[in-house]
Amino acid sequence: MSVPDLFMLGALVLGGAAALLVVTARNVVHAALYLVVALVAVAAAFLWMGAEFLAWAQVLVYVGAVVVLILFGLMLTRAPIGPMAQHNENRKFAVAVSVGLFALLMTLIVTTVGDATLDVTPVRVADLGEVLYVQWAFPFMVLGFLLTVALIGALVLARREEGEGPLPDEGPDDARD
Amino acid sequence: MSVPAGYYLILAAALFSIGAVGVLIRRSVIVMFMCVELMLNSVNLTLVTFARIQANLDGQVLAFFVIVVAAAEVVVGLALVVNLFRLRASTDADGVGALRA
Amino acid sequence: LALTLWLHTRPRLLGAVLTVVALVATIGIAAWQYQAAANGGMVGTESLLADMVAVDGVALFTRFVVAGAGILTVLLGFAYLQDRRIHRGEYYPLLLFTATGMTLLASAADLLMVFLAVEILSLALYVMTGLARRDMASQEGAFKYLLLGAFSSAFLLYGIALVYGATGTTHIATAGVALSDPGTPAGLVFAGIALMLVGFAFKVALVPFHMWTPDVYQGAPTPVTAFMAAATKVAAFAAFLRVFTGGMEQLAWIWVPAVSVLAAITMLVGAALAVVQDDLKRMLGYSAVAHAGYAAIGLVAVSEIGTGATLFYLLAYAIMSLGAFGILTILERRQRKAIAVADLRGLWQSAPSLAVMFALFLLSLAGIPGTVGFIAKFGIVRAAVDAGLVWLAVVLVISSVIAAYFYIRVIVAMFMDDEPAHLADAPVPPASAASTAVSVAAVGVIALGVLPPAVIDLAERAATFAG
Repeated sequence: MSVPDLFMLGALVLGGAAALLVVTARNVVHAALYLVVALVAVAAAFLWMGAEFLAWAQVLVYVGAVVVLILFGLMLTRAPIGPMAQHNENRKFAVAVSVGLFALLMTLIVTTVGDATLDVTPVRVADLGEVLYVQWAFPFMVLGFLLTVALIGALVLARREEGEGPLPDEGPDDARD
Repeated sequence: MSVPAGYYLILAAALFSIGAVGVLIRRSVIVMFMCVELMLNSVNLTLVTFARIQANLDGQVLAFFVIVVAAAEVVVGLALVVNLFRLRASTDADGVGALRA
Repeated sequence: LALTLWLHTRPRLLGAVLTVVALVATIGIAAWQYQAAANGGMVGTESLLADMVAVDGVALFTRFVVAGAGILTVLLGFAYLQDRRIHRGEYYPLLLFTATGMTLLASAADLLMVFLAVEILSLALYVMTGLARRDMASQEGAFKYLLLGAFSSAFLLYGIALVYGATGTTHIATAGVALSDPGTPAGLVFAGIALMLVGFAFKVALVPFHMWTPDVYQGAPTPVTAFMAAATKVAAFAAFLRVFTGGMEQLAWIWVPAVSVLAAITMLVGAALAVVQDDLKRMLGYSAVAHAGYAAIGLVAVSEIGTGATLFYLLAYAIMSLGAFGILTILERRQRKAIAVADLRGLWQSAPSLAVMFALFLLSLAGIPGTVGFIAKFGIVRAAVDAGLVWLAVVLVISSVIAAYFYIRVIVAMFMDDEPAHLADAPVPPASAASTAVSVAAVGVIALGVLPPAVIDLAERAATFAG
């Protein structure tokens, strides 16, 4: 367990703590920023395991696009920035269920596979590309199809068509868009 | 020099459970989305760890797919959230008709 | 091209006609594949595209049912959407996206393909549920469906990750074999199967995971609900069958007790909750949950007969639910609001044809002899008894009795009560397309009910899984 490993452990613990803070943060924007910390910690874990391309893809796509999109969502819906009432009533039950889930997963997985040491030789992007476009070519095309579906879906929900009446907060039929 | 796989798997299991708690507890709609993202991230971490243990690249390809699908999900999700907001000017889940109905 | 020229003045009609043409083509291709595969075994069981897609009985059978349900939904929905002014051009592409997702899900031979297909199918359905942008219930239902869908996808994925961890492959058949040899770490096997089960249970709406069903069924526009009730269940069960019955047959001792308990609870709770409902769409939503429990019995009877019984049951349920929701679509058009049981009083006087057809669908849903519902339930019971799960068959009968109560209650309201509610005299005649669709469904219910052997052995022969 050389010194760099200790840093790695630190990053993992930081990631876990950030995830916990995402759930418990009173302020929604703080929660989003803690999410960024957690995702970067996961990206660091990828890097440490040699999956460089995936680490940077994670940072770029997930932290860069998804969290920014969530922040846009926050902005668009003018979510109350200040602290707001957080927890609904079935709090105890939910905590119990998930702690149980965690304990179950921990024991089942870690005991059986926990001590396997990983070979951390970095993965050449060429190999990843080769596997992706040869063996997983068809799912890759299906993925493109899925993105089209999401694109059209979001458009349908967001854009108004002339055939529809005004939304309640748009006043009389001032077809704005 | 390499950290045993257990640590990554523990973090992954932790993220998954914390994400599950978040979705069940939090009232704000957008925080629920973040918690689902957390859960999907923990899946990614598990996949990459197992890819390393199984010494083949399938796990990383799967993780790559999961990231893209999560992005697509957030796109549609936020379109719905904006719609909900325009209809009823508040985004706390309990207001959204008692999720546990 | 000719169609575009001919129909250019009415874009919606063009969309609808093209969709129907596309779906008829799908049935044609699927039928041709049946023939092409018929030279060897009844149904070819090879899989293509680097083992990602399986062309086998389950896949082709689901393709028939999904395409048929799609055509009926287009017919049902046309006038309804026009009335509610949510008849957007994108409705038809979304419908085709959903149908593609379903056929892909049914023929996915790889766990990742299962996940991708579920996501395509669900994304398109979230949007279709939220189509009525001004109606709060529709947006709320769509959002609830999305959140719980994403939540269940995370569980399904975690299960897939663990199965991958245990076996190193995500191809369903090889993973199934690898899971069962003692070498694989037991912890991963248990956790993987359990989590995948949770993921699938959410999608199929077995009881502890059915919270989303009533709200989404009530919120979504009725034709979308019809399609969701009929076709999504077929596709989800096809994948459920392939992964559990097809893939992990040797491990049946792990997941069979769990699924049979889930099925039993689903049947009882689904029927019990439906009894207290007043809104018809919500009632049919809960009855859909109960029917998912019935179909799950065929899955638990891990045998060719069981799989065949489940497939036939899903076909029967698709026809019945499309018919029932079709009638609701017509009634809702006349009345501009959700239909409660009270609104049906005296429907017999005003619209005898609708009342008779609705009664037929409800009787078939209840499983009265002479309708396809009974034949389907009989097949399931036979499979359950054959596999030694007699107690499940008993639970099925009890649940059917409870269910029969609330189906009959609606029929009584329609026929016996004489004072017609204000709805009864609404002059709006049902659109020709919608009534043809509903009558096709009615003919289907009776035809299959009276002389089912042709379709039953089709389902039986379809119960093969790709190698």
